[in-house]
Amino acid sequence: MGWIDRISPQTLRILALLAVLALTVLFFASQIENYFNARLFNRVSSSVAIMALIACAQTLVILTRNIDLSIGSVVGFTAFATGSLVTNNPEINPLLLAAYAMVVGAGFGVVNGLLVAYARVPSIIVTLATMAIFRSLLVEYSDAKSITSDALPKWLVDFPNVPLFTIAGVELRAAFVTSLIIVLAVHIALSRLRPARKLFAVGSNPEAAEMAGINQKAVIFAAFVAAGALAGLGGFMFLARFGNITVVAGLGFELKSVAAAVVGGVAINGGSGSVIGALIGAILVDMIDTSLVRWELVSEFWREAVLGLLILTAVAVDAILMRRLIALRVRREKARKEAAK
Amino acid sequence: MTTPVLALKDVSKSFGMTKALSGMSITLFPGEVHAIVGENGAGKSTMIKIMTGVHQPTTGSLEVDGKPLSLSGTQAARVAGIAAIYQEPMVFPDLDVAENIFISATDLGLVQNRVRLRTRARALIDRIGMSLDVDRIAAGLTLAEQQAVEIARALSQDVRVLIMDEPTASLSAHEAGELRRVARKLASQGVAVVYISHRLEEIFEVADRVTVIRDGMHISTRPVGEVTPDSLIADMVGREVGNYFKKAPSHATPEVILKVTDLACEDIFRGVSFDLHKGEVLCMAGLIGARRTDVALSLFGIRPATAGTVSYKGTQVRYTSPAQAIAAGIAYVSEDRRKLGLAMPMPIRSNITLATLASILSPAGIIDRRREREIAEAYRKRLNIRTPNVDLAVGMLSGGNQQKVMLAKWLELKPDLLIFDEPTRGIDVGAKAEVHDLIRAFVAQGGSAIVISSDLPEVLAMGDRILVMREGRQMGIIDHKDATQESVMRLALGQFEGAA
Repeated sequence: MGWIDRISPQTLRILALLAVLALTVLFFASQIENYFNARLFNRVSSSVAIMALIACAQTLVILTRNIDLSIGSVVGFTAFATGSLVTNNPEINPLLLAAYAMVVGAGFGVVNGLLVAYARVPSIIVTLATMAIFRSLLVEYSDAKSITSDALPKWLVDFPNVPLFTIAGVELRAAFVTSLIIVLAVHIALSRLRPARKLFAVGSNPEAAEMAGINQKAVIFAAFVAAGALAGLGGFMFLARFGNITVVAGLGFELKSVAAAVVGGVAINGGSGSVIGALIGAILVDMIDTSLVRWELVSEFWREAVLGLLILTAVAVDAILMRRLIALRVRREKARKEAAK
Repeated sequence: MTTPVLALKDVSKSFGMTKALSGMSITLFPGEVHAIVGENGAGKSTMIKIMTGVHQPTTGSLEVDGKPLSLSGTQAARVAGIAAIYQEPMVFPDLDVAENIFISATDLGLVQNRVRLRTRARALIDRIGMSLDVDRIAAGLTLAEQQAVEIARALSQDVRVLIMDEPTASLSAHEAGELRRVARKLASQGVAVVYISHRLEEIFEVADRVTVIRDGMHISTRPVGEVTPDSLIADMVGREVGNYFKKAPSHATPEVILKVTDLACEDIFRGVSFDLHKGEVLCMAGLIGARRTDVALSLFGIRPATAGTVSYKGTQVRYTSPAQAIAAGIAYVSEDRRKLGLAMPMPIRSNITLATLASILSPAGIIDRRREREIAEAYRKRLNIRTPNVDLAVGMLSGGNQQKVMLAKWLELKPDLLIFDEPTRGIDVGAKAEVHDLIRAFVAQGGSAIVISSDLPEVLAMGDRILVMREGRQMGIIDHKDATQESVMRLALGQFEGAA
């Protein structure tokens, strides 16, 4: 058996994504003067620190054949709630504050999860509704006031910018490193923990999951709660990075997170994908977003369109690639059996 | 005597008005292969679903190891050691073989240990006696390999009763033989294997005992040495003859409207040859997997035949899309009302005119609502569709009335040839008789009909001639004068006069 029978579709996807990422950088480097430098890395890494967590959260939900459109509102709400807690209690322990953000986010996840898994309302409807409801709750809770960065403790405002290492001007900043560690931890959990396999099973073939005695409801519920907690952590990061939190915080994150996941090879019909893919997807989306700003040939109005094209291309390429791979393997398998006879 | 591992005691199950099982009792002993045979719709699936906890009996009880137990769901059945594999296996295409086997295992700890997982998966695959690489992704597995995965999964959960529901129906002869060996092997290891199959010769090879069920009732259970194919067939069909069973006089004329010669489609079916006369009803009989629907789909242009010829109204034709067949006056009434037949949320009138929209458009291209209503009302009266008005959503009607709406849709096309696929499945006796009258009226007015049916009394009542298929082959055509339930069933099972 050759490598073609061995390599998992997941690994193949990630290799393909990395290739696309490299090509993108090369392309923009040829188009934009002084493009590839430390500043690009620093800028992209700061914004990916937030988006990686959100994309990771979205991936958990999409794997179960669902979608979470309320994720942007959850980020906004937790950013504000965390901000007001720390404004009123400046002495609070940083870990406790992060935990608070996760608990608040998980609370929203519980609402989504109950409605989707137990009340059996399709997730697109539930989260479309909760997206609006959670946002309104934020408006109500904040009383239309904003959190401002000068009210926040210094450690929090510094958190995204503190370089842990600096190599030739490339800074690995605390927030980015934290995000990477969390994404890696989720990745390891998904690929190594037995219960996580159920997430894939439910999305891969719900009927078979039921037959295999997997409690689908519990799995879907857990996915939403975990996604909520990660989105809450994303809200914490958001607060740290921007400092000024208004009622529109996190607006549009729901679609960006779906884009990052899908570009990163997470199948929208569930069952396959990885958070590492979603992370690379988030980097790719952000890289293109950031680079297009500096590319004179593309006007601001076309940036969204380019992003849209990217998503369509990613999904199409993924579908074709996987179909080819499976067909190829079936053919090779047949040929081997023929040869064995 | 050993204690039975699983027993159904006087189990009945109703779905609404339909009684799927009545007073069913069956006993399974460890180490036996217990075959279950019966016609399509005899209640086998319902019985399996009760054994696996999918359905709960309306009355009656289950006993596991001689103790009463109620299976509240599939999880409870699994805990009791009862598992089923189906013709279409349930695997997770995105996971590999080892992960598929142990997906619901609870004793493997929290952290997945690949090495241990692989070793244990290999051990199970070895126990089945098949060769299969446990690292392969399930998406590329053959049907037989997927079944092996399912059996291994069942074994991993210490299965004591393994139900195999027509496991060999889609397998090649070699694979089927291998699977029967697996069934025997498991039985020798003390598992009670329930083996459901339409292949009688297979049952004589694999089973220790055989139970016949019919119309939701237990007919007989005997050691396989005490039965013959003929005695099984007699048990399977020996029902009382109902009222709607009278064969009406034939309207067939000498004119041949459709001549099919040696039709074949890939490896799905081959060697199908028949003439259909104007005014004739040709019934297609056979069991599940006989590929009758595939023949119909090929005549209708959905899956064009790959060999053989079709001559329609004297000219040779080869339709490659339903639109061509419809334009030529051929209509196909699907067996699957929900998926392929009706738009359930749409009103009755819109469903009836769906296939003939062009005829109710005003010159401006707008749907003429009054014309639509007239047509629908006409059919409501003619077919006796029981509904307060034709604006009701089709989904609100009973199965029989839905069926009539679907028939109305295709009759409105005024076709010359109508192919009915299981036109009366799942509808009550009264509605059945009405559908039969409708088909007769259609041919009396010069139409021709092909009726695919698994209901033997219906086949005998409707068919001027009966074409019997089995596993993609035409077994013969019987004239209604010579047709009996036994003669049709014998062909459908591939058993010939005198052969045992």
